[in-house]
Amino acid sequence: MADQVAKRWGSTQALSSATFTVGRGITGLLGANGAGKTTLLTLILGLHRPDGGSLRVLGVDPMEAGPAVRARIGYAPEHDGLPPDVAAHDMVRHIAEIHGLPGRVATARASDALYEVGLGEERFRPVGTMSTGQRQRVKLAQAIVHDPALVLLDEPTNGLDPVQREQMLALIRHVGHDLGLDVILSSHLLDEVERVSDAVVIIEQGHATVGGRMDELRNAGANELVVTLDDPDGAARLVEGLQRRQVGATDVGQGKVVVTLTDDVVFDAVRDEVARIGLGVRAMKVRTRSLEEVFLAGQLGAT
Amino acid sequence: MSEAQIYEQGYRRYDGRRLGRRAAVRSVWKHTVQRVLGLRRSARHKVLPFLTILFAYLPAVAFIGILALIPTDADRARDLAPTYSQYYGFITAAIALFIVFSAPEALCPDRRHRSMSLYLASPLSRDTYLLAKALAVFTVLCLVTIGPLVLLLIGYVLQSNGPDGPLGVLAQLARIVGAGAAVALFGTAFALALASLTDRKGLATGGALIVLFGTHVVGGILAFVLDLSNAAIMLSLFVAPFEVAARILDAPTGATAATSTPNAVIFLAAAAWAALFSMVVYLRYATLQVTR
Repeated sequence: MADQVAKRWGSTQALSSATFTVGRGITGLLGANGAGKTTLLTLILGLHRPDGGSLRVLGVDPMEAGPAVRARIGYAPEHDGLPPDVAAHDMVRHIAEIHGLPGRVATARASDALYEVGLGEERFRPVGTMSTGQRQRVKLAQAIVHDPALVLLDEPTNGLDPVQREQMLALIRHVGHDLGLDVILSSHLLDEVERVSDAVVIIEQGHATVGGRMDELRNAGANELVVTLDDPDGAARLVEGLQRRQVGATDVGQGKVVVTLTDDVVFDAVRDEVARIGLGVRAMKVRTRSLEEVFLAGQLGAT
Repeated sequence: MSEAQIYEQGYRRYDGRRLGRRAAVRSVWKHTVQRVLGLRRSARHKVLPFLTILFAYLPAVAFIGILALIPTDADRARDLAPTYSQYYGFITAAIALFIVFSAPEALCPDRRHRSMSLYLASPLSRDTYLLAKALAVFTVLCLVTIGPLVLLLIGYVLQSNGPDGPLGVLAQLARIVGAGAAVALFGTAFALALASLTDRKGLATGGALIVLFGTHVVGGILAFVLDLSNAAIMLSLFVAPFEVAARILDAPTGATAATSTPNAVIFLAAAAWAALFSMVVYLRYATLQVTR
């Protein structure tokens, strides 16, 4: 949980008044390059002291309890960070050991973590002989090997081709949803965050402009119901009938009617009118916002 | 009845015991010792460390062999066999070589490949990370600063040419360990300081060799050519650690011309060097940007 967190590097204000809460599941930390995402991750790790505000990670202040907090965090940095002449298994086991796992447990879990990211057969190869995609997987493996309470992934799809990127996103989903580890995914790619995350914090020039569960953000301000009819010709009759009931509705073509949602009674009005006219309904859906719309709305709100 | 067991493979949650910072330091120590010695790496990484170790032990084996093969009386044997401090004279090059390549191997790759961020995202701090690295380099250096002299002592004792009685042997062993540890400590501080200044191993090794020879020339000119003071030879990083070792082991080394300099001056000069090098490493890492 961050409350008014600020951090300055020399003359650059990296973070100013960043306030947000990160919950369970996968949280996307979305922002352009230089927005302050990596700075925030270093503050979460307790590597730097914020200039202002307060930050609590896993219930404690990371500056006060740095080693204890870091023992429970897995971190995959944006850059490579892996020595090329060391076997993947040796490196992952080493990271497990420095996070407090006993030797034999670290050895076994290093294999398990590398199997989990799809490198079971490749685990004894030196990291330098691996492709970019494989190295990113090793980084993910070392971040989860010690069963952390929180995993920080900084731009984990950097340098990956589209296929590798899909595979990495699937792995992150797997880590967050199937393995049950809480993940903070730092990325500048909006669609990546939208597809993987359960919640999002949008960082814009050091400010957390938007934050919350993804479904809540999408539904926030959702005041339109889209009704798709079997018979396109029925749209005009439905609009007419709804308007008679003082409900705003527009025929947008292709058998779709957009109904203005003022309260829950509107749903009843649509149901009754469709039944009265005898129309077949193919789909009925509350129109939600895309993350891009949320992002742009946040930008407008920040300016 | 079958003893077969089924092992489940795949990622699981872990709720077992977690060790603390001490275990993290131990792991970095072990990993670094293995790295410097080329263990768990390809054969070419093992060549230099093991050749250097061989060169450090070879003279001891040769002296013990000569004393064993050539029948000599006790006085003749004493003349033939080098003293413990003289033995360092035979292996100075091997120790210097070990010093200048071990610390760069321990420190430089972590900065070059930006692995520091992985270490600092663990329970380790900059201080504990450096402590682990320094302990690893120190341990490896002890292989060539203590080990050969212990071998020599064992050989002399077996040939009845060693100290008198078990207490004498133990006292000599303690002096060997103390002297070897002093040389290793000095070498660790010196080489880590040079290795902390560059990410490139070759540059660190080359720089360390230049500084070693450079200070040796300067110290020699001040002590012998300008005839300022015998103590000026302590400016030589080649001489300083071995002069300390000589004072601990048996006597001042006649070769360094610092025989008339009191022990306190020798120890203080070496300690000042080590403190300077340690300060360089500490300041370099305190200001090192890792995650930005």
